[in-house]
This record gives sequence, structure tokens and C-alpha cells, in this order.
Amino acid sequence: MNDEQLLRYSRQMMLPEIDAAGQEKLSESRVLIVGLGGLGSPVSIYLASAGVGNIVLVDFDKVDISNLQRQIVHTTPDIGRLKIDSAKEHLQAINPDVKIDCIDHALEAKELVNEATKADVIVDASDNFQTRFALNEASVKTKTPLVSGAAIRFEGQVTVFDPRDETSPCYRCLYGDDVATQETCTANGVIAPLLGIIGSIQANETLKLLMGIGETLQGKLLLLDSLYMDLNQAILKKDPACPVCNIS
Amino acid sequence: MEITLKLYASLSQYLPENSVKHSAKFEISTSDTTISILDRFNVPDKEVHLVLLNGVYLHPEERKSLNFSDGDTLAIWPPVAGG
Repeated sequence: MNDEQLLRYSRQMMLPEIDAAGQEKLSESRVLIVGLGGLGSPVSIYLASAGVGNIVLVDFDKVDISNLQRQIVHTTPDIGRLKIDSAKEHLQAINPDVKIDCIDHALEAKELVNEATKADVIVDASDNFQTRFALNEASVKTKTPLVSGAAIRFEGQVTVFDPRDETSPCYRCLYGDDVATQETCTANGVIAPLLGIIGSIQANETLKLLMGIGETLQGKLLLLDSLYMDLNQAILKKDPACPVCNIS
Repeated sequence: MEITLKLYASLSQYLPENSVKHSAKFEISTSDTTISILDRFNVPDKEVHLVLLNGVYLHPEERKSLNFSDGDTLAIWPPVAGG
């Protein structure tokens, strides 16, 4: 680490839980972020700022003016650009030390498993159940921790699924494939700072996982109704009948 | 016995009119289950995914059979996938 890097990361390295060893771990880490929208924006900004060495951005969408109320990694001149290109430029401006790879199509099948295998943490910042189920399966298959966040209207949810621990539930223990809703922020609306709250918690959990410090939200689901600022923590149990994480 | 039912977000529309925020207290019988209580308030099955009894997630099978104790809190959240 050179003098400029020491200065850049000094305010987190002065935390004894992080120190130089934690910073080194971050610089050697690789995080897969799926979705560069309302959640992926704060997640990617905080992970790049903190010095996560390798970040893979996945999104096939382009920046639209209606995104800019909440997707804070993009700016007005980015309208019409691929979100991954817009985000990469912004993140590199914040921290040129970070290596950023971009994937401009839906990650599926072998390619998804390959990226999950290479990643130390997967961040689910997507906006639909289909992608969420696919990321969960890849997480379980490759034993890569999954930091899962979701938000719509005034409601947000965030948790960690860590398949390295056999007692950990997975996303499929929480939501069955009969889940009927396909509500999106585009169709139903969302208040912008809620995405910042949930996305920031996802970033915080990711950094802790990468450095191996503290305790994560594994086995606990945070539920926030931001209209009434009602924050709940639910205990999640592994589903003995789960078709994804209970196949031995 | 009396329990507290909390219906969050879009589900709060199914609570009685005199409910405060997303919460209502009411009497139930010893044979009531999550399913029978939600039927009583006409909450559609397809909107029920996160069911918490005293803060612990209930899997679908438990919702059909598990009975309550006096003072329990049953909380329901709709599914959330946006981002």
C-alpha cells in the first residue's frame, strides 16, 4: 500500500477491527454486484470507496431519466448509456485503484456459476424474483455468501445468506417459487432514501464478510417500514423442505 | 385469548377500520391458526409470504397447524423484490 492509499483509507484503517490487515483483505477481494439500480448504486459506491479490489458489475439496462431520482451512481449526462458503463466511470473517478469488470447481459447458467465461484461475496441488488432465485442457487452451489436486499414503496428488507455455514437458511427458504408478485419500483414507486438505507446496509454487511469481522445478518431478516420508521428483525430458520439448500 | 395482528405495507388495508397504524388486537380461539386468522380478515393467500410469530419466521406448513398463546404477536409482510 502506498502513501496515497494509506491516506485514502486512513479513516477506516484506524478502526482496530479493520487495521492494515482488513484493508489488505478488501484490496484482494472480489465482489459480484447484480443490478446497478437503486440498491446497486449505493452498494457499488461504498464498496469502491472502501477499496474493494475487484468489482464485477452486472446489468443490461440503460440509464433513463426516471432512474435518476434514486439511482445515484448515474447522472443526467449518462441518460441513454449502459448502466454498467455509467457506473464504472463514476466509480473509477471515486477510486482509480479498483479494478472493475462489466457484464452487459443477464448472468445465467454456467457463466453465473463461474462468476459466483470467482467472487468472495455476491450482492443481490436486482429487481425481480427470477434473478433472485438464480443468484441464490449459484450462491448455494458455490458456497459464496449472498447479501440480499430489496425495496419497494416505503418497505425494505435485507439479510445475509452464508452457505459456508450448513445451518444458514437460503433465499428459497424465505420465498417459495409460488411467489405471485412481480412488483417493481418502476410500476409501484419507491422513496429514494430507502434504497440508500438498504443498499448501505448491504455494503456494510459485504465489507464485514470480506474482512471476517463482527457478526452478519445471517439468520436474521431486517424489515423496515420507512413510512412509520418501524424496524423489525425476524429470525429466519432453514426450511427442512427447501429444494435448494437441503439437497444432500 | 387475545393476540396482536400486524399487517404491514399494502396489507394494512385488510385491518379493521379502527386499527392504529398497522396493528390490531382481537380475541381468538385456541384452535385458530395463521391461515384461519388471515381468512377472517380476507387477506389474499398470494399476498402473504413473510409470516412472523413473535419475530420468528413461520414456514408455510407451520401456518396451517401452529396455534397461539395469549399475548402473541403475528406480523405479516408482503413479498418485496424491487431494487
